[in-house]
Amino acid sequence: MGLESQLGDNIFTTTIDKFVNWGRKNSLWPMPFGTACCAIEMMATLASKFDLSRFGAEAIRFSPRQSDLLIVSGRISIKMMPVLKKIYDQMPDPKWVISMGACASTGGVFDTYTLVQGVDGFIPVDIYLPGCPPRPEDLIDAVIQIQHIVEQESVSPKRQSGAIAS
Amino acid sequence: MSEGQEVTAEEQQPLVVQKVQEQYPDAILDVSDARGELTITVRKEGIYELMAFLKSDSELAYNFLADVTAVDYSLMEDVLMKHDYARFTVVYHLLSTERKERLRVKVPVHEKELSIPSMASIWKVANWLERETYDMFGITFDAHPDLRRILMPDDYEGYPLRKDYPLRGRGERETFNFEEQNV
Repeated sequence: MGLESQLGDNIFTTTIDKFVNWGRKNSLWPMPFGTACCAIEMMATLASKFDLSRFGAEAIRFSPRQSDLLIVSGRISIKMMPVLKKIYDQMPDPKWVISMGACASTGGVFDTYTLVQGVDGFIPVDIYLPGCPPRPEDLIDAVIQIQHIVEQESVSPKRQSGAIAS
Repeated sequence: MSEGQEVTAEEQQPLVVQKVQEQYPDAILDVSDARGELTITVRKEGIYELMAFLKSDSELAYNFLADVTAVDYSLMEDVLMKHDYARFTVVYHLLSTERKERLRVKVPVHEKELSIPSMASIWKVANWLERETYDMFGITFDAHPDLRRILMPDDYEGYPLRKDYPLRGRGERETFNFEEQNV
């Protein structure tokens, strides 16, 4: 079979996209933005019982500059929104966002004078995770969904999914 | 709202009520006891001296101010009648860590003179608690060291815990300037 038959058993060939995405999706570095009870479920997800490190995403960084996955877990007030926006802007590309729970996604039951009704009005969200709060299994599922999204990316700017669509 | 049973004159008054009546005979408007939680309603005039007395008196020694908040009674006619139609009531929760006794002090405040002396020089914790009460109800605290909003943005208008404030706000969610905030 082509080149591989010449290289022997110890060498695999693949595409650069598949190789980079394989590394990226299995070593997501989350930036936790925990403002409410969803953050408690997020902590449980990271702890030994659910163990997010099985999916390679246990390296929680409290610096956005070292992260590529923003987990917005909790309600965001209008006063907090500029902070979240700044943290998102500080994260280096490529980056992905999970909007965890009803409050981050829609405002939840807090349709009040001070609460942002969904963070997707300000930052792009890749995965909306329903629940109030979602269980740790749900968050693991969301991380796996993010991994599927990462698989579709390309290191070549020309082959970015957005570029093909336009 | 159930205020609990009125403490009748025949019963032995709690120590704090006896001492306050001795020291400030006109201050107390009402005493109630709801399942062991003692509440005294007092006049706004002389409230600073009364609160200082509650802390400094060696037998009372309410050395810890657990909470300062307020209530907007504008929709509760029965309470308004009792309070000479004072719309707001400032509520102090005191604790004596030595005696393990708690006390709630309520002070009716009229809307037209919406201010009350600050307790920040008696209990330092009152600083932030009074700022929150100012933020939510618009009650000003005289001689407060730093009376600014604490929860809402600095340029916010209105007092959201007042009963005439709409739950969804007055469009702040849409008009809030998300770009030019110091974060």
